[in-house]
Amino acid sequence: MADDFPEPPENGTRLRLVRDVLDSQMVDRKQCQSGKVDGIVAELRDDGRLVITAIENGLPEAVRRVSPRVGDWIAALGRRWGVRKGEVYRIPFARVRNTGIDVRIDLDAAATPLLAWERWLREHVVRRIPGAG
Amino acid sequence: MKAGKVLQVALGVLTSIGGFLDVGAIATAADAGASFRFELLWVVLVGTICVIFLVEMAGRLAAVSKHSYADAVRERFGFQFYVWPILAEFVVDFLVLGAEIGGVCIALQLLTGVAFQWWAIPVALAIWLTAWLGTFDFIENSVALLGLVTLAFVAGAVVLHPPWGEVAKGFIPSGAPHEPAHYWFIAVSIMGALISPYLLYFYSSGAIEDGWGEKDLTMNRLVAGVGMGFGSLVQMGVLMTAAMVLAPHGIRVDQYGQIALTLVGPFGEWGYYLFAVSLGITCFGACMEQALETGFIVSQALGWNWGESKRPVEAARFTMAYTLSIAASTLLMVVGIDPLKLTLFSMALTAVMLPLVVTPLLVIMNDRHYLGEHTNGWLANGVVGLIIGLTFVMALVAIPLEYLGG
Repeated sequence: MADDFPEPPENGTRLRLVRDVLDSQMVDRKQCQSGKVDGIVAELRDDGRLVITAIENGLPEAVRRVSPRVGDWIAALGRRWGVRKGEVYRIPFARVRNTGIDVRIDLDAAATPLLAWERWLREHVVRRIPGAG
Repeated sequence: MKAGKVLQVALGVLTSIGGFLDVGAIATAADAGASFRFELLWVVLVGTICVIFLVEMAGRLAAVSKHSYADAVRERFGFQFYVWPILAEFVVDFLVLGAEIGGVCIALQLLTGVAFQWWAIPVALAIWLTAWLGTFDFIENSVALLGLVTLAFVAGAVVLHPPWGEVAKGFIPSGAPHEPAHYWFIAVSIMGALISPYLLYFYSSGAIEDGWGEKDLTMNRLVAGVGMGFGSLVQMGVLMTAAMVLAPHGIRVDQYGQIALTLVGPFGEWGYYLFAVSLGITCFGACMEQALETGFIVSQALGWNWGESKRPVEAARFTMAYTLSIAASTLLMVVGIDPLKLTLFSMALTAVMLPLVVTPLLVIMNDRHYLGEHTNGWLANGVVGLIIGLTFVMALVAIPLEYLGG
């Protein structure tokens, strides 16, 4: 974990999930922009508590919030032709910190499907064009 | 102010002049002057005041929060809302970039006599190469310096000794002297060309590219005010030369070749070439901005790493986004769609989508989460409120007016 990664909030801290987490910019340990928070996962436990377990990233999940059917179509297209295979990537909420406007995630995005398209385009297309650096 | 700072402000102002004028601004202003002489100058003035306020806010948001306008709209209003303005912006960007590429192609047609369609692919390649190899600073500054050639329109207007009394009267809002549908159609198109959503997205992204912070707020105000003011002066120059050269001969603007006559009046044969060069440079600059803006908004909507100052391998999705955008819009010119008609149609369509783009600004600019102590005051909020009201009216009347008077 990077030294400057924020400590978890104190017990009892109020979190405005929709305002401060959903749709926020995710920034990883290396300060890399790693996508937006497209969904939030909650689990209903046996004792009746609703526990926030993860945040999600993936275009199908964002689009499902507008139209579940179109979101499913995009996921199906992704499974067939996509680099991420239509996968919606989940990040455990324990690795998430809300810091002001952005959401910090305690992982290296380059090693996850979050940057799969970036890697694929870089290796298969961009790097092959002269002047790409 | 220190010398370095003065230079930075001067460069910012120059950039605004270059960035202000595009194919839409030239076409709508020429149409206005040719059809109604100086009567529509007031619309340029009102539009410029609106743009100064909007651009200042977009710059302030980016400087303080380090987030662009596109970022903030998705974050505050959610994907369910943001998907609509962004889809609308894609459509408009696709058409406007096509029109701007068309502007460069027409300039080359005027200079060489070779039909504009043949220039579409070479022009697209030149735009893409500049974006691929250039940095944000290089593009911004070269567009700014080359864009100074458009001051020829201001010089042309002065050389023609305009009737200043009539010009002054043009700044007072008046009703249509004749053909009301056409009058109001041009008025809405001028506003659509001026209050263009891409300016908000591009300017705030540019402020982040340039690394602006709270210390740059004064510069932001100067660049927005003086830069946009000068830019509008050039647009007024186009309108005035059209009013003095085209209107007396009853020439209506339905081809770019006719707009070229505006500079032939004051400068003779050289004016023709000066017009072609001005149109080409202006539209080339606007193409760069429009293509990059498409890359910016896609990247920011989906939270990708982005930046024209990054090497292509460092922002592969961003570079692919602008590459695809240039390729798609080029097709519009390859198939031979008339650039002037496409321009005027795009400006009216821009007017339709404006409320979706501008309304969130009122909320975001009052959000302390983003702006801290730099939230809007009552004056800025009042002006944004008025602009939003204006955009709703424009959105309602744009298409009917296009049908009746376009």
